[in-house]
Amino acid sequence: MVDSDGQLFTIEGIAASLILLLTAYIVVNGTSVYTPGDTHISNTQLEVTGSDALAMMNTAPDGLTTKTPLQTFVEQGDSAGFSSMFLNIINNRTGSKPDGIQFLANVTYVRNDNTINSTFLSNSSRSLYGGEHAVHVSQWIIVEKRIPEDALVRKRAELVEVTLWRD
Amino acid sequence: MARLNEDAQWIVLMGFIVSFSLFFLAIVLNQSVVVGQTTAEAVSEFPKDDIRGVRDVVIQSVFMDALNKTAVQREIQTIALTRQGSVMSFSNTTDGIHTFLDFHYNNGVTAYNETWIYP
Repeated sequence: MVDSDGQLFTIEGIAASLILLLTAYIVVNGTSVYTPGDTHISNTQLEVTGSDALAMMNTAPDGLTTKTPLQTFVEQGDSAGFSSMFLNIINNRTGSKPDGIQFLANVTYVRNDNTINSTFLSNSSRSLYGGEHAVHVSQWIIVEKRIPEDALVRKRAELVEVTLWRD
Repeated sequence: MARLNEDAQWIVLMGFIVSFSLFFLAIVLNQSVVVGQTTAEAVSEFPKDDIRGVRDVVIQSVFMDALNKTAVQREIQTIALTRQGSVMSFSNTTDGIHTFLDFHYNNGVTAYNETWIYP
């Protein structure tokens, strides 16, 4: 003999569990807590902005034959030219107020004894003090120039490295 | 056992079933959050820009004259190793018509291998 006196309680139990579950679902979906471990999300966005800007600057206007703006800036050490073009690309946005991304750019090259060295290329108006949460992007280029340790003008593989941060 | 009161057995059974299903659904919900996050991180941490950049200059170096080519390829390997923590190995051969470039990249997490053929 099965006693079925408790059926209403069972239904009530199911209803209560559904309500609990729904509440838990809404709570989990409705809020997101931004923890220090999540900073890589905004960092990734800044990195994408920076590498896209460098990739655009390393594209020749006619596609192939002429030098890219980035190659020209590095070959001539044109700090002001790099700064103005790079800031223009990364800080422009819809509307009148520009974004406040700052940068510091270095060029890394290889000396004849196979050691590497980085020299200053350009920066924005603010200096990097060390407290900023900066990200790092880079762009490979082939340039035709001399380096401080070697007077020979020849093709060289160099790496433009840019540190980016929001001010 | 005959003297025990068995009136509430159904309630207890249903209680078990409900609690197990709750537990199961909680696990599913939990996993869905973690799966989304790990997938997104795996995608964003793939060194796409590094591989593209270094591949681009290696291909440019293949078409240089012998003097420039040796020097530039040595520079690419040195900079990739010291500044990007990646080991690069590449060599090109030709069969008279096509140029074959074997390209190997490894940064300890991601390995990328390609044979690039031109034209």
